[in-house]
Amino acid sequence: MTGSDLRGVAVNLRGVAVNLLGVVEHPCIDASPYRIDADGAPYLPVGDGGLVLGVTLGDSVFAVSGDHVAPGACLVHPDDAARHALLLYSCIGNKAEVRTGPARGAAGAVIGKRGESGRLIVGFDPGDLARMRPGDEVSVRGFGQGARPAWLPDVVTSMNIDPELLAALPVTATDSGVQVSVRSVIPSRLAGNGLGRPAAAWDLDLQLAASTAGGSGGSSPRASTDAPLLLGDLVAITDIDARYNMGYRRNWVTIGVIVHGASPLPGHGPGMTVILTGPDSALLAAEDGASHTGLTASMLMR
Amino acid sequence: MRAQTNAAALVSQVLTGEVWPPLSDRHGYRVGPDGQPFVLPGMGGMTLGVHCGDPATGYASDHLEPGASVRHRDPRANMAVQYLTCVGNEVTVTSGPAAGASGHVIGQHAYVLVDFSPEASEQITTGDQVAIAATGQGLRLAEHPEITVKNCSPGLIEAMPGGTTADGRLQVHVAARVPAEAIGAGVGMISEYANTDLMGAYAGLGEDLSLGLEGLRVGDIVALEDADHRYGRGYRAGYLTIGVISTGQCMLFGHGPGPSSLLSGPAGAFELVDDPAANLASWYHEGASK
Repeated sequence: MTGSDLRGVAVNLRGVAVNLLGVVEHPCIDASPYRIDADGAPYLPVGDGGLVLGVTLGDSVFAVSGDHVAPGACLVHPDDAARHALLLYSCIGNKAEVRTGPARGAAGAVIGKRGESGRLIVGFDPGDLARMRPGDEVSVRGFGQGARPAWLPDVVTSMNIDPELLAALPVTATDSGVQVSVRSVIPSRLAGNGLGRPAAAWDLDLQLAASTAGGSGGSSPRASTDAPLLLGDLVAITDIDARYNMGYRRNWVTIGVIVHGASPLPGHGPGMTVILTGPDSALLAAEDGASHTGLTASMLMR
Repeated sequence: MRAQTNAAALVSQVLTGEVWPPLSDRHGYRVGPDGQPFVLPGMGGMTLGVHCGDPATGYASDHLEPGASVRHRDPRANMAVQYLTCVGNEVTVTSGPAAGASGHVIGQHAYVLVDFSPEASEQITTGDQVAIAATGQGLRLAEHPEITVKNCSPGLIEAMPGGTTADGRLQVHVAARVPAEAIGAGVGMISEYANTDLMGAYAGLGEDLSLGLEGLRVGDIVALEDADHRYGRGYRAGYLTIGVISTGQCMLFGHGPGPSSLLSGPAGAFELVDDPAANLASWYHEGASK
């Protein structure tokens, strides 16, 4: 990192950690509860935020009947500005600890983040999660924004990832840049909600539906996939630049971790939290299909 | 042949709003595609010098909202203004020196956007009250059940060239065709709220950002390929959405000139005719709303 490049913090600058406070979200639903799915059918959103049991890293994004279901607890903050800071400063792999309630003392780790008003997704041991309640306070040791591993090429930007965890993921420095094993490479036309938004605080939904989830009423299916897509998978999306806001840039690639499941809403779907973005000449996505292993619970709770 | 509609069954509802001020915060700067910090006008208030038929891009502006940006002071009433107002609806100024002037709705963004004549525009400022004759939601095309109509006044459908073809499709004249790669911020939103920003229209910026959309004009009728806006805005291969460019130049990355949604259905239900005159300016003139 040269002194003139202000896009990240130089490697010789020491990163700082901050203790942040999040509160386990209670789901909120309007008096008129129905949302309309991509085929025009009304549905009641289940599992969209809050504390969801029985869903873990490694599950298919299409496994449950819900909307944007995330594995673990979603943290928020009652003050909007503090909520945005909680999102911006927390990184995947950051440690979390329950501070109140029956699960006080339980350890967890950040899995990812969701945009708009902002939700931080934190994974816990299933037994601890079952003892937690909406309203429980959770402390998060925010660290990683601005950190740049020395081996990362200057033209590649990392974000939203604890540097120690990045080293544990299938990310390899090569002579020509950095190579990342991903479950699949997805074209930019399938990028959904999150475009035009800041990747440091907002996930990018992929407009994918299970191939079996065909449209009702005889309409053609949405973009569908037969390939497995699991929570925790690394995926690459081509021609998307996520250094600032996310948008189209030819010959660019963005890599993220799948942090929540599918959605019936048009323009939405499984969401990825961005961890790497750069020109495709220096950031190489290797599509490993069925042999890919991304972020796992054991890696996270190391 | 003109497409038959259920226009006779629609009601008009009188809505009110006011020209809403541009908003900012004390940090001011936003960030462009290459990390350029910028402070630029365009969103909110009364924006002068850009009308239907004018280029959508090429201005030192961000989220350019041509004409008056209107909303209602009460948040829920404002949602009614967003959802019930349709492109082509007549808007009348009811306070200030331009009182009595009329214009027409060109689309929704964070506000309802209203084009007035240059003379009237000069006299309109933040806080001026307007009345909207809202009609169009619920509009259907009897011969085209596969096509959903959105945000479209009956007068606009009547004015647009084209109509039902001999083989039963809906012929629509469009000024541009937009590839799915261009769809940016606004995807995933309700089709009656705001609009879809198109990327690849960053006039004067790099080739790596261009999708060939720098020639769009405000008011252009455009076809969005592989876009299904029947129940929200999303990707669906083989579907088509017809929109009208209601906003212009953006510097904020992932954003750009945006079409408000008008018609959506299977691509096979449409017959497109490329026509540079497919623009609101061809059918709506200064102060004369249809």
